[in-house]
Amino acid sequence: MKKQFTLTLVIALMTVYQGMAQEWLVPDDQKGLTNPSEYNLSNVKKGKDLYMKNCKSCHGDPGKHNGLPLVPPPPDMVSEQMQKNTDGELFFKITKGRGGMPQFETTISEDDRWRLINFIRNFDPSHEQLLVDAPPQKAKLLASVNEVEKKVEIFAEVDDKNGSFVKLPNAAVKISAKKAFGNLPIGEVLTNAEGRAEYQIPETLIGDESGMVNIVVQLDENYVTDNVVLDAAKVGQPKPQPRLIKKEILWSTNENVQSWLLLSYLGAVGAAWAAIGYVVFQIFKIWRVGKE
Amino acid sequence: MEKKSRRSFMKTLGVSIGAAGVVGGSSILNSCTQVESTSGDTITLLTSSGELVKVEKSQLKPADIPSLSENQKRGREGLPGKKFVMVIDLSKCRNARQCMKACQNHHQLRPEQHHINVLEMQDAENTAPYYMPKPCQHCDNPPCTKVCPVNATFKREDGIVLIDNERCIGCRFCIAACPYSARVFNWFEPRDADKYKGVTYNIEANVPQKKGTISKCLFSADRLRDGKLPSCVSACPNGVYWFGDQNEDAVTNGTTHETTSFSELIKTNAGYTLMPDLGTKPRVYYLPPKDRAFPFQGEIEQHHS
Repeated sequence: MKKQFTLTLVIALMTVYQGMAQEWLVPDDQKGLTNPSEYNLSNVKKGKDLYMKNCKSCHGDPGKHNGLPLVPPPPDMVSEQMQKNTDGELFFKITKGRGGMPQFETTISEDDRWRLINFIRNFDPSHEQLLVDAPPQKAKLLASVNEVEKKVEIFAEVDDKNGSFVKLPNAAVKISAKKAFGNLPIGEVLTNAEGRAEYQIPETLIGDESGMVNIVVQLDENYVTDNVVLDAAKVGQPKPQPRLIKKEILWSTNENVQSWLLLSYLGAVGAAWAAIGYVVFQIFKIWRVGKE
Repeated sequence: MEKKSRRSFMKTLGVSIGAAGVVGGSSILNSCTQVESTSGDTITLLTSSGELVKVEKSQLKPADIPSLSENQKRGREGLPGKKFVMVIDLSKCRNARQCMKACQNHHQLRPEQHHINVLEMQDAENTAPYYMPKPCQHCDNPPCTKVCPVNATFKREDGIVLIDNERCIGCRFCIAACPYSARVFNWFEPRDADKYKGVTYNIEANVPQKKGTISKCLFSADRLRDGKLPSCVSACPNGVYWFGDQNEDAVTNGTTHETTSFSELIKTNAGYTLMPDLGTKPRVYYLPPKDRAFPFQGEIEQHHS
């Protein structure tokens, strides 16, 4: 009896394991679907943004094979395992998901899912590669805060590969404010032909108790720089500090009691004492009458 | 005869005290020279930030550990100018339970004790079930602190509701008062009780735990003092938790370390608090479980027949 049970268990486990290792079957009518989204740079770029947000955490950076060590392992975008899928198969797998791979039917729109496939095809050797990730360039970033006009003034330079730095035009500079546990992005500006940019700090920005804010300035990911953390400057609103507690109150009832309740309670107590006093007074009177 | 013997006794006493002084003094001197001679020795130490450093033995001094009373005073005051707030995004929770694990490790909790618990919820018969992590709500109008007869549990200026286990008498009035069932009682010896023997009690972590007293979520107040996010927030692999200072209107995600405006996050996602009708004013906000990437896989019993 016991033997039979063990045998059944082993067989059951084997089927489960086989099921895991089995090919991810895609219905035939889905396999042949063609990608309605055109393979062009703008679609690939959008696909990249989607990939960074939704897929990177498990599949890793394309080409670096640094996906999470899950079972089964999430394949890299450049791998043959990924690229041998037809567009229809990829679309079905992204849409429905399986096991560790979540479904994206409800979270990414159909158009965007096709754009994601545009991005995956960017790494297909048989396709022309549209989005080429250039190695990041060395750059320098200088910034200062103008407290009076509430402006951040930025100057960016880039290494021209001959060892000297030249001004960097048309680069996106991200501006954020330092908060308790991280940097809050507040805006983005482009540098002009002179490599300079100005950012007007919004009036609504909240600083510390006295309105001091640490502004952090950084270039986009195509450049290698140290992020510039500026000294605290008085460019924000002082942060509100409403008091949460008045004082510590044990059995805090006095503060919350309603006046009619307090009055009726005190009235009742007063009446009781008055009644007792009246009785004592009458006894005293009887005693005095008895004496006479 | 009698007088003489007394004098001689005093003499011997003086001599012996003098001798003892000389011996003691020389031994103290001796020990000093010994320290001097071993000053070349180094010892490898692990710092609190996780680095291994080599330090000369002679440089070693006992660390300043805040005494219990100092600890209690500091713990009652809280961090000035802060008002901590947590946002839990239910659409991201897939019941990984890493928050619970990290919490139980940090606060020395037995497996059945939860400062934070991931619950399987279903609001009505036909609505979609979802996972809901539930820590202490750190109410601005807390019912629990008002019933404590010994002033052991209290609300701090930075919004955190704490317990002083040194004051707690274990009456469990606060458990009865809390509408969110956030509090646990140490019915048995706490986990790893031997390991924590002799450790100074830290009011901001409720460690070491005490049998016969209450414990509950404290937003990892000891980590906040060091500028770190709470244990559960840092441990979540799915980006469920946002945590920050409401005064500066910014919350940071524990997984992605992305920072965003608290009021924007609550407004755009229709955030809500639990049981608002009770007037407890919770400091924990929830974002509704819509557009979930992960399907619900638990088993919900049908209680709504």
